[in-house]
Amino acid sequence: MDLEPSSSQAPTGTTRTASGKVRGTTSRRSFLTAASLGAGGALALSACGSSGESSSAAGDGPVELAFWTYTLKSADPAAQAILDRYHELNPDVTVKLSEVGGTAETSSKLLAADRADSAPDVVQVEYRALPSLVVAGVVKDLTDDVADARSGAEPNVWSLCTLDERVYGVPQDIGPMMFTYRRDLFDQYGVAVPTTWAEYAAAAEQVHAADPSVYIASFAPTQFEFFAAHAAQAGAQWWSNDGEAWTVDLTSEESLATADFWEDLVRRDLVRVEPLLTPEWNAQVNAGKILSWAAAAWAPSVIYSVAPDTAGKWEAAPLPQWTPGDAAVPFLGGSTYLVPEKSKNAAAATAFATWLATSEEGSKLLLTLDIYPGGNGGREATLNSEPPRLMPQQTDFYRIADQVIDDTTIDVTWGPNVNVAQTAFGDALNEAALNKSSFRDVYAAAEQAITADLEKSGFTVSS
Amino acid sequence: MSVVDQRPGRPAATRSSRGGSRGGSVGGAWRLRRGLAPWAFVAPAAVFFTLFLLLPIGYAVHLSLRGYRVQGGGAFGRREEAFVGLENYTAALTDPEFAAGLGRVLLYGMISVPTVLGFALLFALLLDTPAVRARSFSRTAIFMPYAVPGVIASLLWGFMYLPSTSPMNYLATRLGAGPLDFFSTPFLYFSMANIALWSGVGFNMIIIYTSLRAIPTEIYEAARIDGADERQIALRIKIPLVAPALVLTGLFSIIGTFQLYSEPATLRPLTNTISSTWVPLMKIYQEAFDNDNLGGAAAASVILAVGTLVLSSLILRFFQRTTFGGDR
Repeated sequence: MDLEPSSSQAPTGTTRTASGKVRGTTSRRSFLTAASLGAGGALALSACGSSGESSSAAGDGPVELAFWTYTLKSADPAAQAILDRYHELNPDVTVKLSEVGGTAETSSKLLAADRADSAPDVVQVEYRALPSLVVAGVVKDLTDDVADARSGAEPNVWSLCTLDERVYGVPQDIGPMMFTYRRDLFDQYGVAVPTTWAEYAAAAEQVHAADPSVYIASFAPTQFEFFAAHAAQAGAQWWSNDGEAWTVDLTSEESLATADFWEDLVRRDLVRVEPLLTPEWNAQVNAGKILSWAAAAWAPSVIYSVAPDTAGKWEAAPLPQWTPGDAAVPFLGGSTYLVPEKSKNAAAATAFATWLATSEEGSKLLLTLDIYPGGNGGREATLNSEPPRLMPQQTDFYRIADQVIDDTTIDVTWGPNVNVAQTAFGDALNEAALNKSSFRDVYAAAEQAITADLEKSGFTVSS
Repeated sequence: MSVVDQRPGRPAATRSSRGGSRGGSVGGAWRLRRGLAPWAFVAPAAVFFTLFLLLPIGYAVHLSLRGYRVQGGGAFGRREEAFVGLENYTAALTDPEFAAGLGRVLLYGMISVPTVLGFALLFALLLDTPAVRARSFSRTAIFMPYAVPGVIASLLWGFMYLPSTSPMNYLATRLGAGPLDFFSTPFLYFSMANIALWSGVGFNMIIIYTSLRAIPTEIYEAARIDGADERQIALRIKIPLVAPALVLTGLFSIIGTFQLYSEPATLRPLTNTISSTWVPLMKIYQEAFDNDNLGGAAAASVILAVGTLVLSSLILRFFQRTTFGGDR
């Protein structure tokens, strides 16, 4: 899912007048800030130490880090400002950006580069791609290197780049799950913001009945990660392991309940079967025929990039739940910086990645790239920044997002073959959605395909 | 292959037949140089052939016997390259998606190859009639789309097919025909073939047209004296005489059909009727780059290459007998 915001926005640091409730949050944040400042100081020291080490290894010369990223773009002044700042702090380190595509392209290119012994130094991929790269042996274990930076991000954020209690990356950005919807049209059709998936289905029915050309959302079968998150929210764990053997379970009752949910909506033609971000989807969103997108805090900037004229008509709310009153959600999307095993400047690379992702300053600078930073510094800064351009009137956007992160308590384990799973699952679900055939069969077939692939690769799979 | 296979034979023959007459008068140095010269001429071709064809083919075959397998235990055990025998071949041959992809390609080919060749022949014949006006303009105009890269052509047509952006759809809706779904399953093949038609007709037409221009005009004169009209000349004289060109373009088109990739891959993000393994090459790409299964991709590539080779040599053999009338 390469839906990460691509446009850049320099957020204006306007401070909002804080209400009593906000001040309560802020004081907790201030504590975190103090903590991460301390860590930042320690980090700065360790960064100096490690870059010193690496430059002495490289013959005391300056180090150039090859950084593969799709968030920092060379043409973007905000990205350049980040690199300039780091160069100012570490005059012997220069960072060179390469844009090699989204997660899938980056992963395959990294594998090729590793096998050709010409690995880059820092690489950005989405969290779900991490396990397959780790088992391919191309990712450096950073557990000991980032020990001092741990306080720079929350434990539930660190767990996104942790496998088997080893840390393989630092968290660039995260996706607190949110429901982004057309406030004006929801009001026009008399639909309340759904807080449960049952209400969501009812709302879908209501808007479609009012105008048959209007749908509450598009149903995009290739959004594998969304379906996994949706099932996880219901209580399913698609992949799990006991340290040795894998369990693949897409057919638990919780998981199949989510399959039934979508099958029902598709069969009743209450969601529009349409991939996301096609010219068609964009046109429908602009025309007010698609009213919402259940995704994450990054969705507004994606929608803004294709439908800037609809700004001001949208709002975001916490994701609907299976059980009324629940708040727990997993993260959706977001990405990590990893350091390749074969990086020739691993120490300097780790220092840079850690600074950018988890230091107070780096994490705040990431917010200037219009993403939701994984580090506490950036997360703190969101509370004082203006809402996304898609919803300038929704001044509590970041406060809601911040609450969602606190509610993100569901840990999703990604298996070592997510790459194989997502295409198999997406193709099969697509076909089922078009033929209106059983979604349960798709989940069962995907489980088999994932298990067979794990076994073929030589992993132990317990049934 | 024949380039390399035949040439080494020649120097030997030359040396023995001429070497005798020059005899010992010139001596061994001359003989040696005469012997080396042909090899030197062949060397560049042979080197490049080996470097850029034989070696990659050999490497692909080598890869097809290997795969990444977990060494050691653990939930996140490391995958390392290992010899897996014919596992990749059995996997590719028993993969229903690979077979289904071949089926789709055949269906697409049955639509696209005859229409592309039919229109190419028709346009070539029309351009070749004496009464035609604006010949070079028409020729360029028909050829022009060939200059548009396949990916661009697919994007272009993709927008024409999408309901919200399609002018055809707009007209159809205005005329009361309702929205047209160019991407729904049976129409998808025609929509895809249409792109091939648009961009492929020009190229094939030029080949056939060139072949038409090579026919001596006396034949037409003779036919006209015998009372044949233009239609009869076209059907009875021109088409049989350009048959070799038709076989050639046909063969290219069939090989091109098996290599169908950029059209479906470009259209895929626009619709959900094209799966990620819609044609064999997409499947191969996915195995190699999404699934990190280079071995599986190599095996499928070898199967596809051998299949194409066998099929084209069968077609060529068949037509050689019928069209070229035992030319060999």
